[in-house]
Amino acid sequence: MSTPNAPVTDEKEAPRSNPFRSLNFSARFWVSLVLVVGIILLGMAGYVYPTSPGEKVGSLYDAPGGGLPLGTDNFGHDVLAVLMAGTRTSLIIGLVAGVVATTIGVVVGLLAGYVGGWFEELLMGVTNVVLAIPSIIVLILISISLPQSSIWSLAVVIGITSWPWTARAVRAQASSVATREHIDVARLSGARLPGILLRDVLPYILSYTVMAFVLQVAGAILAESALSMLGLGPSGANSLGIQLHWALAFQAVGGGAWWAFLPPTIVLTLVSFGFLLLQSSLDEVFNPRLRRGKRKQMKQAAARRAEEARLLAEQAFPAGAPEPTRAGDQA
Amino acid sequence: MTLGRYIARKAGWYLVALVAAVSLNFLLPRLVPGNPVDVIVSNLARGGAVTGEQQKAIYEGFVAEFGLDAPLWQQFMTYLGKVFTGDLGTSFANYPASVNDLIGQALPWSVAVQLPAVLIGWIAGNLVGAIAAFRGGNWDRGVFTSALFLSAMPYYCLSILLLYGFAVVAGVFPVGGAYSLGLTPEFSVAFLWDAVSYYWLPFLSLVIVFIGGQAVGMRSMAIYELGGDYVNYARAMGIRDNKITQYIFRNAMLPQITGLALAIGTLVGGALITELVFNYPGVGLLLFTAITQNDYPVIQAVTLIITVAVLLANFLVEIAYGIIDPRIRAASAGEK
Amino acid sequence: MSALLARATNIRCVYGGGEEDFTAVDGVSLELGEGEILGLAGESGCGKTTLGNALAMIATPPLYVLSGLLEIDGESIDLSTLSVADLKRHRPYRGRTVSMLPQGAMNSISPTIRVRSLVHDVMRAHDPRVTKAEALDLARDRLKMLDMPVRVLDSYAHQLSGGMKQRLITVISTLQNPRLLIADEPTSALDVSSQRMLVEMLLAMVEQRIMSGVVFVTHDLPVLSQVSDKLAIMNAGRIVETGPTRRLVEEPQHDYTRTLLSSVLDPSHETRERGRLRSSGHAGPQAPTSEKEVGAR
Repeated sequence: MSTPNAPVTDEKEAPRSNPFRSLNFSARFWVSLVLVVGIILLGMAGYVYPTSPGEKVGSLYDAPGGGLPLGTDNFGHDVLAVLMAGTRTSLIIGLVAGVVATTIGVVVGLLAGYVGGWFEELLMGVTNVVLAIPSIIVLILISISLPQSSIWSLAVVIGITSWPWTARAVRAQASSVATREHIDVARLSGARLPGILLRDVLPYILSYTVMAFVLQVAGAILAESALSMLGLGPSGANSLGIQLHWALAFQAVGGGAWWAFLPPTIVLTLVSFGFLLLQSSLDEVFNPRLRRGKRKQMKQAAARRAEEARLLAEQAFPAGAPEPTRAGDQA
Repeated sequence: MTLGRYIARKAGWYLVALVAAVSLNFLLPRLVPGNPVDVIVSNLARGGAVTGEQQKAIYEGFVAEFGLDAPLWQQFMTYLGKVFTGDLGTSFANYPASVNDLIGQALPWSVAVQLPAVLIGWIAGNLVGAIAAFRGGNWDRGVFTSALFLSAMPYYCLSILLLYGFAVVAGVFPVGGAYSLGLTPEFSVAFLWDAVSYYWLPFLSLVIVFIGGQAVGMRSMAIYELGGDYVNYARAMGIRDNKITQYIFRNAMLPQITGLALAIGTLVGGALITELVFNYPGVGLLLFTAITQNDYPVIQAVTLIITVAVLLANFLVEIAYGIIDPRIRAASAGEK
Repeated sequence: MSALLARATNIRCVYGGGEEDFTAVDGVSLELGEGEILGLAGESGCGKTTLGNALAMIATPPLYVLSGLLEIDGESIDLSTLSVADLKRHRPYRGRTVSMLPQGAMNSISPTIRVRSLVHDVMRAHDPRVTKAEALDLARDRLKMLDMPVRVLDSYAHQLSGGMKQRLITVISTLQNPRLLIADEPTSALDVSSQRMLVEMLLAMVEQRIMSGVVFVTHDLPVLSQVSDKLAIMNAGRIVETGPTRRLVEEPQHDYTRTLLSSVLDPSHETRERGRLRSSGHAGPQAPTSEKEVGAR
């Protein structure tokens, strides 16, 4: 294994105190942003696309062609129209669930981290219990208990089963903020708990809240599609998971009807990847120790420094004079 | 706090989780409006082979057997009693097949795919992540992006892609199932040899994604540790890089052990759907079928088993962490 | 007048990290005699810690040493550090010829190893044949000599207090009897009594020739005036004035020195106290030579 020290052309950037002062967005960030925006546009495109997802335009699994860029699904519907509608539905569910989960998580995390003591222990214990029980199981159990699930009810249910992640992240930050002086000042000046939490603590944990929200949305979209593939998805609606559900039910994979299952699979993968990439690049913005500099700039800087060093060495020891014993060369 | 207290505390909370899970497992399905037995009996009736009187007899038989006429708390006690004696009931849809039998047939398939995936994935993933962190440069960029992509992919998405690419299009692997048509499962070399070719794609779709997740995590932890004060100090004392790498590895592993607990939960969840894609006769397929048939005893049993397995795995991982992390193992003695 | 221990010439350091590099140390030279303690003083950001890092040969990116020559122990060492290769080249000197006592020793010991492992690793770094028993014996002797409990060797970092850790790191940094010790703000994170213990320990170690010289980097002038033989005042990457402590404190020549001193010290009181902490028999600070190094340009 070579040296643990990153090579010179990959140095860490000089530490900056305020991350917002120099929002050094990397290539990763822009790629992820393009992905996420692209998918949102795909969903929105459904509003302007001529065919409606419920319209029967062909028979079982017609191949792409003749005005249907992605052929038909098992119902004879335009796959592309269904895809757009499905993307939209999945995004909406993700967003609603994300908001619900982030809100609960932030509230729990803030209270736990700030109040501390036995209250924190209790809240964190509950959080860990909810975290340990596999959420898909809880979702399955809830879904089979509900008579009908709509998009909204499903989103809310997903939200209330996935908040522990956010709670943990927020709690860690909140408890470190709680010990800072300006909080004491606020407390002494008579501000009450909700006020302190909102005005003094929240801004510091905002970065973590944003990152957690991004992850929650992605997680919710995936949870919904998993449920849909199990047959427990929102009834009467189209989502990416439901599209896959029908594809599996009608043996699209074995039958080679790639247009019926590849598009939703790819979109799901890109959604998940895009959001995760976004969160990881945001993590680098807020956590400088994870940064690993821009290649071209590093190379130029290193070359510049080497040249400077050479000049200085020549000044101290002009060509011809005996060089100092670089005894270190024997290392 | 000492190791003893740590274990006791963890055990306490996991017990709470277990109770919550069991209660949830029992309660939720029973909140369904209407009677599941009605559904089944009416399904039977639709078949036309049953007279009105027979329907009534069957209905009452079901209700008595499944205890549906007793008050809720009594049903819960019955349920607990049965669970603890290992009796998971009788299937509705496959009456009179016992749920234990159904699960007994399905469970080995699931474990055979998931357990090696977790073990191999954890080791390989952490190695890849550590190497990427230490080498840096283009290697790191490449590994990180691909690992991130793989880890982001839902397990079943990779399953679908692999199935289509390698089985349908390339024909290298069989298209779904766990063994060739006509064979019956048994512990013979011939059968196992046949089952292997069906094993690869499900196993790969789990292990690849798992490796991705572990690699990403380990890489981040190792990079973070690289900036640590103890690294600078060790270097300042002239300690060689190989030794420093060992320090970093030991520290980066700790959060990875914690992360393992959660990753196992995700893998088990994702594996459910992977089995659907591959038509693999594990608990996932069993669950799916039971859901479509409203077969409550089976549904409950599967969810219970999965939950208990995940909780147990988590518990063991947390204990392992307590033993490995010296801050927990060696109590704070407070030398002044 | 004490014999010359080390001479550093024309040290220039930059911080890289963006379009332009920031010059942190702008051509600094200094000298240190045997048994001397050189105090390096200045405000935060003047470059004294960077200079210390350069001397200890542990400059890691984004810090680069563009030039510098260290003459010590009969060798002339090129301090320039531009790449990983340079860091490797310097390894044999680190901890042995020149050693570092870092600022904030709180996290200098890896949390998952016992102190005795670190001790063995430090000794083995320069001589692979050293056995664990030998390393621990040496460590125990040092601990006893400095009135520290031997059982810290079996501890993990989290089991020790801050003050104990700082003193322990001081012991570890000097296990190999380095010729020169760079102490970077060793007292800044300590309470007053711990500060005193640490300073006394350093003085005792110098007296017993565990190390032959110390560069004591700090912004805490009162401590420096009690401990150092010479002072070098740094500002914006350059040394503005240097000389024997007493003279500098009582008759500062440079404006900046005056400003710095007046904001902290009551000169007459402190220099009187100066003798108190020093043990007798030490080559006195009355060295007549006082070079005013205002940079090599």
